[in-house]
Amino acid sequence: MHRFSIDRLIGACVVAGVALAMAPAADAQLLDFSLTQASISFADADPDTTPSITAANVTVNYRVRQNGGGSWRITIMSGTDLISGGATIPISNVTWTAAPAPPFQPGTMSRSIAQTMASGAGNANPATTGTVVFHLANSWNYNVGVYSATFTFTLSAP
Amino acid sequence: MRRLLALIVSIVLVAAAPVLRAQNPLTATLSVSATVTARAKLTLSSASMTFPDADPDTVPLVPASGGALTITAKGRTMLGTTVTLVVLASSDLQSGLDTIAANQLAWTATGAGFVGGTMNRTTAQTVGSWVSSGQWIGTQSYALTNSWNYSTGTYTTTLTYTLTAP
Repeated sequence: MHRFSIDRLIGACVVAGVALAMAPAADAQLLDFSLTQASISFADADPDTTPSITAANVTVNYRVRQNGGGSWRITIMSGTDLISGGATIPISNVTWTAAPAPPFQPGTMSRSIAQTMASGAGNANPATTGTVVFHLANSWNYNVGVYSATFTFTLSAP
Repeated sequence: MRRLLALIVSIVLVAAAPVLRAQNPLTATLSVSATVTARAKLTLSSASMTFPDADPDTVPLVPASGGALTITAKGRTMLGTTVTLVVLASSDLQSGLDTIAANQLAWTATGAGFVGGTMNRTTAQTVGSWVSSGQWIGTQSYALTNSWNYSTGTYTTTLTYTLTAP
């Protein structure tokens, strides 16, 4: 009987440990975040007739729970300028517009400082979406190439 | 005793287990690409120019009456590749059977990358060149070498400009 009780106690400890490890703490914010697109592209265009090139819409899906009256924020930052071999296009030539506003706001891409794309307070529940449209300022100064960069979106509820 | 030890170990493990809070912040990435292809665009401020009649002794070089020709060249090319602008006369200046050699036509230039030169009807002459993509504005001021040897007439030729952005 005594041995049986110890076995059960050990089992209970293991189960509790696993459950504790997997379950969020009661006071933690619950966040959900995703993009419906994995990539976008800016097509080639004549800078004289198309001074700004628009990419396809990006849909941002987010949900914030257990946030009380705290703030939340979606930021965006590029890892690099747009790069094609040795040629670059400054990432500051990429801007975005977004809706709905608020909580979304327009901005200019940066590769050094995360830029705020949306912000609010409290919860955003149920799941909410925003639409972001990126624009590339066109220029004759761009050298021929296929340029790439990676944008990182971050949802945080500090 | 062994089970007691296991119990102690289990309790210690539970106590030491990190509490996994909901992930905050959350991130998502977006791959971005932009395509830039080769293209060129050339604009001349005038489609024609005229050299008026003048006394060769007093006006040895006759400037074009319309003044300087303004050239706007725009080109996209590979990084480090040269964009070139050349001009070629289709023929000598002709008036019936009379001719004035195309090389009697010369120009001076202003603007970064633009150069002066002498017209040729067989080999295209460089008007300007630039490394990598961009847009450039310059002027060409043409002058015709005057001569008593020219027969009377109205002479014409066609100048073809070619901008290349490989």
